[in-house]
Amino acid sequence: MVELVWLIPLLPLIGSVANGVFGSRLSKGTVGVIGSAAVGLSFLIAVSIFWRIMTLPADARSIEIVAYNWLTSGGMSIDAAFLIDPLSTLMILIVTGVGFLIHVYSSGYMHHDKGLWRFFSYLNLFIFFMLMLVLGANYLIMFLGWEGVGLCSYLLIGFWYEKKSAGDAGKKAFVVNRIGDFGFILGLFLLFWTLSDLGAASLNYKDVFAAAHQIPPVTLTLITLLFFVGAVGKSAQIPLFVWLPDAMEGPTPVSALIHAATMVTAGVYMVARNNVLYSLAPYTGEVVAIIGIGTALFAATIGLVQNDIKKVLAYSTVSQLGYMFAAVGIGAYTAGVFHLMTHAFFKGLMFLGSGSVIHAMSGEQDMRKMGGLHGHMKITSITFIIGALAIAGIPPLAGFWSKDEILWEAFEKGHVGIWAVGLLTAGMTAFYMFRQVFMTFTGKCRADEHTKHHIHESPGSMTVPLIVLAVLAAIGGLVGIPFIFADGTALHQYFAPVFSHGAHAVVAAEAGHGLEILLMAVSVAVGVSGISIAALMYYAPARKYAPDFLAPEKMAETLAPAHRLLYNKYYIDELYDYLIVNPIKRLCRYCLDFDLGVIDGIVNGAGWLTRFTAWVSHKFDIYIVDGLVNSAATFVSFNSLVWRRMQTGYLQHYALIFVIGLILIVGGALLSR
Amino acid sequence: MNLASLNINIYSLLPLLMVVGLALFVLVLDFFIPRGGKRALGYVSALGLVCILPFVPMFIETVPSYAGFVIADTYSAFFNVVFLVSSAFAIFISIDYLRRLGSESGEYYYIMLFATAGMMIMASANDLIGLYVGLELMSMSFYILVALRPGKGAEGALKYFVLGAMSSGILLYGISFAYGFSGTTNVNEMAAIVYRLPDNNTYLYLALALIGAGFAFKIAAFPFHVWSPDAYEGAPTPVTALLSVGSKAAAFAVFLRVFAVALPAFHGQWSDMLWVISAATMIFGSVVAIPQKNIIRMLAYSSIAHAGVILMGIVVNSSAGASAVLYYSLVYAFMNVGAFTVAALASRGDGGEQLTDLRGLASRRPWLAFFMALFMVSLAGIPPTAGFMAKFFVLASAVHAGYYWLAVIAVISTAIALFFYARVIFYMYMRDYEGAELPERSLFTCVTYGVVLILTAVGTLALGVYPSAILDIAVRAVGPLFTI
Amino acid sequence: MEQLFFYIFSIVAIVSAILVVSVRNPVHSALYLIICFLQVAAMFVLLRSPFLAAVQVFIYVGAVMVLFLFAVMVLDLGKERLKDSMHSQSILGGALAIVLFFIAFYLVYNGDIVAPLGAYTETALMKNTEVIGAALYTKYIYPFEVVSLILLVALVGAITLVMRHKDN
Repeated sequence: MVELVWLIPLLPLIGSVANGVFGSRLSKGTVGVIGSAAVGLSFLIAVSIFWRIMTLPADARSIEIVAYNWLTSGGMSIDAAFLIDPLSTLMILIVTGVGFLIHVYSSGYMHHDKGLWRFFSYLNLFIFFMLMLVLGANYLIMFLGWEGVGLCSYLLIGFWYEKKSAGDAGKKAFVVNRIGDFGFILGLFLLFWTLSDLGAASLNYKDVFAAAHQIPPVTLTLITLLFFVGAVGKSAQIPLFVWLPDAMEGPTPVSALIHAATMVTAGVYMVARNNVLYSLAPYTGEVVAIIGIGTALFAATIGLVQNDIKKVLAYSTVSQLGYMFAAVGIGAYTAGVFHLMTHAFFKGLMFLGSGSVIHAMSGEQDMRKMGGLHGHMKITSITFIIGALAIAGIPPLAGFWSKDEILWEAFEKGHVGIWAVGLLTAGMTAFYMFRQVFMTFTGKCRADEHTKHHIHESPGSMTVPLIVLAVLAAIGGLVGIPFIFADGTALHQYFAPVFSHGAHAVVAAEAGHGLEILLMAVSVAVGVSGISIAALMYYAPARKYAPDFLAPEKMAETLAPAHRLLYNKYYIDELYDYLIVNPIKRLCRYCLDFDLGVIDGIVNGAGWLTRFTAWVSHKFDIYIVDGLVNSAATFVSFNSLVWRRMQTGYLQHYALIFVIGLILIVGGALLSR
Repeated sequence: MNLASLNINIYSLLPLLMVVGLALFVLVLDFFIPRGGKRALGYVSALGLVCILPFVPMFIETVPSYAGFVIADTYSAFFNVVFLVSSAFAIFISIDYLRRLGSESGEYYYIMLFATAGMMIMASANDLIGLYVGLELMSMSFYILVALRPGKGAEGALKYFVLGAMSSGILLYGISFAYGFSGTTNVNEMAAIVYRLPDNNTYLYLALALIGAGFAFKIAAFPFHVWSPDAYEGAPTPVTALLSVGSKAAAFAVFLRVFAVALPAFHGQWSDMLWVISAATMIFGSVVAIPQKNIIRMLAYSSIAHAGVILMGIVVNSSAGASAVLYYSLVYAFMNVGAFTVAALASRGDGGEQLTDLRGLASRRPWLAFFMALFMVSLAGIPPTAGFMAKFFVLASAVHAGYYWLAVIAVISTAIALFFYARVIFYMYMRDYEGAELPERSLFTCVTYGVVLILTAVGTLALGVYPSAILDIAVRAVGPLFTI
Repeated sequence: MEQLFFYIFSIVAIVSAILVVSVRNPVHSALYLIICFLQVAAMFVLLRSPFLAAVQVFIYVGAVMVLFLFAVMVLDLGKERLKDSMHSQSILGGALAIVLFFIAFYLVYNGDIVAPLGAYTETALMKNTEVIGAALYTKYIYPFEVVSLILLVALVGAITLVMRHKDN
């Protein structure tokens, strides 16, 4: 079964091409079935591979499947090969599993869209690239996926291109991702150079990791940092997180699939995949952890005051991704990937839930105009609350176990600062999530009459994925429950073959269960208090017990500057516009006109020079000067008889540039003698 | 000089003679074909080239013939395949293109064949004089071909002609200096003499700079690129396709031959010069392509940027770099001809190939949009397309040879370049079309374009997914350059 | 003595070239060009290439310039000032010309590009044409044949372009 791994990415690719080419002529139902079935079949294969892997002994679980020799160049050979190991198996399960559910959901959610076939084509293509990213056995295939998911994300964010904001958001995502990708490519090349210098020119994970300790530490730090720049772009960390909230302009299933469950976690996957390199570069690890936890806190504070139902989820995603980076940064790879998995469940669930709400509210996204939806759409409401409880870290839901493991490992490894900030963030997360729950599902409905009339539960194709994800969000954390096994959790055992190479390999908690349980209690308490504060502020029945200053309006007033700062997202977008975007635009403007502009500039300069010369040599016979001076252009002027009819007027300038270039080259050559 | 020492060997010239014969045949046939039926000449030319193609690899003569002027080695055979393929494509799409322009004519086809012959002469030239006449034959044909588009053609052709004549003069000047220090124009003999020259021979430096500038003009490298956007825009689009692919490949062929075979002893000197040109060309091409609104101009600047990247392979001066140049040339032929084909097909025929013409192409012509997207992705260098592989080989060779900074610049320029390629995709998939519908195409149009598009698309994909076979051939093809 | 002639020829050539681009009447321009070409022909003689000198006179001075004069007269092109076609880049163009001149001057002055002039031999003077002819038909047969293709293309191209304009 493992040999069939190539089918996993191939099926979505076929689905994509089929829908892209024939989709416009097929019925909407068929398009949905093709798209979903392609991913569903992949999921089945992924599951069978997972079972196969589990039957193997732990040290035989890393299997490389070579499809064929991709290229051989200068002593280096790169195969089109897939790597099946516990990490990639888990990733393909998430990508195809959650992807399948979201495909099913989309066939309901997007049913009214005339571009349904396009949507499914892009979505399938995205799945293909994402699978290549996680399945590749070398950096080149990872890079293929890395570039491809970016392209698809760009297409999908701008899917509703009639909306200008959607197109702009797509472009923003594209540009910001390019910056990150650029770092990634440079890192790739630096790695490649270093390895060729060491005589081990290869881009296969296996060979690279084997040669990793030969790389000088400074170079390795630089490589890993550059890789991390790529991750920062793709996974929306400080300072490149700005694109993700804007990306919510895309259809909600896209937000769920790409901007919550899969693509944005590619950065985390990449760091986890390179755990051997990162473990050897402790400095990078610190940077990763600090940026991660910083982003977690930063995004959470913004999330506190947002009113757009999807924006809250977007900042929450940024914040949770920060958690994952904090985990992998301190070497807790298992915890990071664990959180990646549970996050895919509950955040995918919440995005889909919010989509269901938006669907019911006829496209309204402002939570201030919602309320009381629980009565109208019970399934959506209950599943959403399960997701919110999971992310808030309430046991025994999935989010609790993964988040707590990150916090515990941080504490245990002595990163008390990270632990404290993480705890604070957890409290905020609980607060804003339940603020959202209470604003959306409880209280009086604040929508206008027309919308109110229209509110209804979503069709089965949308609610079934919600229920499945809710179940996963509820029980998905069980694989990570500590204390059961002597050598760490089930997940630790599962990942041991991948992450044990790292110097920071996770060893079972030695500090004793007592402390761990105490810390768990603390984090639960923080989560509960976050929820309680949210309830006191936004849940009508609880409000009468609340002290005065907790009224939301009052609070916004007393803390006006802070509120404004948070509400405007720390003015980061404006800052970037001012510091980076505008200067670049100006630079582009110069480049834009280069071909003509520089010539104009030269000509203007020459004109200035002409006046200057005329001023200096007043009495000079202009005719002779011109005559002498123009002799250089003899050849050019010879043709002036013809040109007068052509009216181009620029050929002379071209010739001028040509001559300048020639002089530069000849001069350069002579000077270098 | 006795005749035996000339080594007259007809086999070494056979593919070239076939192309010239085909051109002359079409020329004569032109007299007998009535005005309305000139497209038949197009079929004859294109199919003729296709028939000649299998003969190219059959006549490999490793010993220079015709007094050392001609060498029909594997290297020239590889390039001949590139020329024949791209030329056949270009002629094929011309048939319908000219019909729409309303300027069907016979001379168009045989001048295109003469241009192809000129490229082949360049690729198999083993002597600076032979190289120069081949280059003139090619350029002369292109001057005329560019002018054949009614309206804009004359302007572009005039600019191309005047600047081209200047560059020819500079090239000849350089050749004369080369003759000055070596007393020969034969590249092999020159190589032997160059090794004995002192390091600071002024003639040598002048020859390097002037010959380099002459070639740089033909590949449209910065700052000798100024002619290319105007000429590309003015020319009939199929001619532009051939100009950007064939003529560039031919220029690279002689570039590599002269610098790698005749002047390897001075690699240190000329690599610095080409390093700067390559870096400037890459950056300039990608930056200036961004604001272009005309798709042909955009592709022209993109082609400048690609020339900069290919030049890296020459800077490296290794077997890996040279084979990457060959591979890149072939890949570029496929993807660029494909892109120009779509551009020719998507424009409304009145000559304004604006980017905005592509709006909503995805819903109007899904296949066409798909092909264009593929070519754009490939030109941008995104895996798994051939464009990525080609870039990768060039970069890998540069890295192996220690040209780290040049590789970094190439990566930067590639990163920049993605913007304008993505914009084409953006227009096709994310904009709605307003205004007049495209005219319905006849079956005939669909077939001629379809064949070219499918073949170029298959080439673009196949060379990316399975590059080994062709790369092996390329490595073997550059063997003769680096064994001496 | 040779040097004296060289300087005479080259100064006349440069001055007439300047005049070509600076006089207003196109017919005068053409006549100055003829003078310029003649000086170049004379310099070929100094360089021991009488055949090239003859070709220069026959083809450039004879055929090309006569055709050119015809064209100028038949089309009755008006007068035009140099400035109109220079697009205010005369100063820069001049500066570049001076830079080029300086480079050449520096190289010659520094003795970097010098080559001894060969002696007048009988082959060079009397058999020049014969030697060139023999070379063209033996060693240089290949480029010679290719040049015939270039001429063919140029011929066809000229006719095509003219006929096209007539059609329109």
